[in-house]
Amino acid sequence: MIIHVDMDAFYASIEIRDNPALENLPVVVGGSVKHRGVVAAASYEARKYGVFSAMPASTAIRKCPGIIFLPVDMKKYLKVSAQIQNIFLTFTPVVEPLALDEAFLDVTQSEKLFGSSASIGRKIKQVIKSELRLDASVGVARTKFIAKIASDFDKPDGFVQVPVNGEQNFLDPLPVHLMWGIGKSSLQRYLTLGIKTFKDIRLRTKDFMGEEFGQQGCSVWELANGIDTRTVSSQTQIKSISHERTFANDIADIPVLMAILLELVEQVGQRLRKKNKLYRTVTLKLRDSDFKTISRSKTLEQSLDSTSSIWHTAKALLNTVVQNRGRLSGAYRLIGVGVSGFQAPPSMQQSLFNDSKADCHSEIDKVTDQIRERYGDKSIARGKSKSSIES
Amino acid sequence: MKFTISRETLLKPLQLVSGVVERRQTLPILSNLLIQSTGDSLNITATDQEVEIITSIKTKVDEPGEITIPARKLLDICKTSPEGAQLTFKVDGDRARLLSERSRFLLSTLPAADFPVTPDFDVIAEFEISQKELKKLIDRTQFSMAQQDVRKYLNGLLIEVIDDMLVSVATDGHRLSYCRIETKNVKSKSFQAIIPRKGIQELSRLLSDSDNVAKIKIGSNSIALELDDIKFTSKLIEGKFPDYERLILSNPSINVFADREALRQALVRTSILSNEKYRGIRFSVTNNKLSIQAHNPEKEEAEEEMEVEYSGDDIEIGFNVNYLLDALSAISEETVQISMIDQNSSCLLQQPEDSNCKYIIMPMRL
Repeated sequence: MIIHVDMDAFYASIEIRDNPALENLPVVVGGSVKHRGVVAAASYEARKYGVFSAMPASTAIRKCPGIIFLPVDMKKYLKVSAQIQNIFLTFTPVVEPLALDEAFLDVTQSEKLFGSSASIGRKIKQVIKSELRLDASVGVARTKFIAKIASDFDKPDGFVQVPVNGEQNFLDPLPVHLMWGIGKSSLQRYLTLGIKTFKDIRLRTKDFMGEEFGQQGCSVWELANGIDTRTVSSQTQIKSISHERTFANDIADIPVLMAILLELVEQVGQRLRKKNKLYRTVTLKLRDSDFKTISRSKTLEQSLDSTSSIWHTAKALLNTVVQNRGRLSGAYRLIGVGVSGFQAPPSMQQSLFNDSKADCHSEIDKVTDQIRERYGDKSIARGKSKSSIES
Repeated sequence: MKFTISRETLLKPLQLVSGVVERRQTLPILSNLLIQSTGDSLNITATDQEVEIITSIKTKVDEPGEITIPARKLLDICKTSPEGAQLTFKVDGDRARLLSERSRFLLSTLPAADFPVTPDFDVIAEFEISQKELKKLIDRTQFSMAQQDVRKYLNGLLIEVIDDMLVSVATDGHRLSYCRIETKNVKSKSFQAIIPRKGIQELSRLLSDSDNVAKIKIGSNSIALELDDIKFTSKLIEGKFPDYERLILSNPSINVFADREALRQALVRTSILSNEKYRGIRFSVTNNKLSIQAHNPEKEEAEEEMEVEYSGDDIEIGFNVNYLLDALSAISEETVQISMIDQNSSCLLQQPEDSNCKYIIMPMRL
């Protein structure tokens, strides 16, 4: 049996826990009154006003004028997340974290030790509550998909168990928009076909779904029928490393974008080397004032790990996007950069003629990584990056 | 076009040229051989547009002409025909007919005019050398060529004439092979040419261990060799080959002298338990003994010990065992000299008192 644990309004709940004066007030983490940014987490009080995570701060203020913005304290959340992980690990070693605030647990082998999966689910909730004074919602089911839907079913502070063989009764009445892979655009197509609930999907044939919606339709049909063969894997390989930033004000000035991009590139490079990986693909992400997202990638011939190589490629991608959009390039509200296509760690074989330029870059990276590790990200940066221009 | 030829006369030339034909082709005609028959000879050409091999066979031709036919199929038919079979070859319209005693084959053809042939080039240097010597030079260095490296100039073998020396160098960035021969009779202008990997592999097959000469012509971006009945042409790789002279150790502080064959066998045994991917072994010299150790992710271990003579400090250094084995196989003397400085500097393998062939290997970090 699989348990899905999802913390309720994670960042906001931690802040309220640590500052009881905020209790019962509409609180969001991320964004600010002056600037815009995006809401990273909203307390349940704020949600009553229709404020949700990923909402621009400006919209949040409009919906709830008295809303309280708190800065993101990622270090604190990471610490709490690790504490929650440790609680999970006392029940089962098979834990697959999905994010800081949610995880799948396979407790099949733990039932002899700790009792039924439902009672394990309740115990986890209790321990998180008593040790960390935080609320979690828990879903218990035979598959990952159903467990995840179940944890969301009775939020906040929810507990839903879907008994074996009770899956169909649980899934059938659910509205289609809860289905994975059905977004805003495809939802309309489902509704026009008269498909409103999971049951409507289940009663169609798999072939029909495949013809209508392609590969996506087939997997939707399987999920609606309670078929989900994915296992909980405790060792998920990282597939990409990326950083992105939403600006306080839209930015049209390309040199400013470049400066921010360089700062992000430095962070990505540092994390990449810390993980001892080599990348082959660089992806640039931009979102314009109209919320249109532009994503461009380039795969290199060689696997590398230097900041300068990521920067070189990311810069070229940004230049191409700007050039292609011409003078009407306009303003952007978000920029991000990521690397993927990871290769095994470099072998210990030394090189005969080190390209002195690459060698010197790797030496620079090594030293800056050490300095940043010790004195913080702001301690050293490339001259053209945003953080060094500001300081 | 029509001619009759014995299986044995045709088979060897076909095998010599067919290596060039790539199995996967973008251009259909490149999987074909160009066959041209004149009064008393047959020319067969194969190309991949980088390397071209032409071989010529003396034989009686009934009707001259030219055509292209599928290389692999022709070779297979010839190979599987009974010994001593007489093959009659005849072109009928757009088909080629191949007859021998009880067998009949009808092969597709493509027009000879469409076959891409390498144009003649301006010769900037030319010389002659015995095939035996050239083969030795290539075979003692070619194993260090890179494979599909982004540094294109490493995917080939450097042939160079400096003063009265003909030099060949190959490197993949981790190790380097260097070999030279005196060429008093060469009298060629100095030049540098990087022959691509595939060209070198084909050439090594074509060269015989005889004193027959190879006539070599170098152009600005091509090289051509005439060997007996064969004409070999290859494009050259553009780019600057690394300055290898500065990589060759001049003052090594540690010199080990070991029995080459004993060392080679010890390495072969140790390598069985080295990491299959990285092939690392630990090489330590202390108390007049050389010890070689390997272990793998399965936690299996191998250790070999042998007596050696050495001068200088004790050393512990890591190597890719394959690089050592390649170099030891290329050396022919009984004793090998291994020179080192420290565990982060290159290592030099050579025959004692012979500076004509040198093998440089970069260590692995332990």
